[in-house]
Amino acid sequence: MDAAKVLDAKGLACPMPIVKTKKAMEELNIGDVLEVHATDKGAKSDLAAWTKSSGHELLKDTEEDDVLKFWIKKA
Amino acid sequence: MANTKVAVIAANGSLFDAYKVFNIASAAAASDAEVGIFFTFEGLNLIHKEAHKDLPLPEGKEHFQEGFKQANVPSIEELVSMAKEMNVKLIGCQMTMDVMNLEKEDFIEGIEVGGAATFMEYAKDANITLSF
Repeated sequence: MDAAKVLDAKGLACPMPIVKTKKAMEELNIGDVLEVHATDKGAKSDLAAWTKSSGHELLKDTEEDDVLKFWIKKA
Repeated sequence: MANTKVAVIAANGSLFDAYKVFNIASAAAASDAEVGIFFTFEGLNLIHKEAHKDLPLPEGKEHFQEGFKQANVPSIEELVSMAKEMNVKLIGCQMTMDVMNLEKEDFIEGIEVGGAATFMEYAKDANITLSF
């Protein structure tokens, strides 16, 4: 998936992954995809909840070697 | 969560309380909610210029210090500046400040000072109200 930007939020604890994601999202254009990498286990449900409450679209998420990856499309 | 208003009362002053308040406030603000926090009694420590940099762990819970480091939790200073950046409204309680002999200058930049009625006016149409 082509991401306009990749955000490395690995090693960050709640609530930093979503705060950083929000900031990164502000720099993108509508329709752009942000790829987020996180190791906070809470991020799996938090980023899904955040995309829902902020109106963006979670296209896909994966988990490999304890790294959670998310692809979020800006609305 | 645009068009959502969150009203928080922070009435306690340990490090645990600070994380409860600022994590919820930052998460709400990052989700585009409007957030206001009313700091009263020990809660004033959370925005006191010096005190917020070195808040105590609750008695008997000092051993959690290590856990905070290991979990790479952001510092309260960091959370406060992020909250401010995201336009979280910080209101210090005038009455408690008078009791504790504190002035607005004793607190971090950018706070408002008001009484219970100020908070009620803010909170009257809040969608979410929390007290810590």
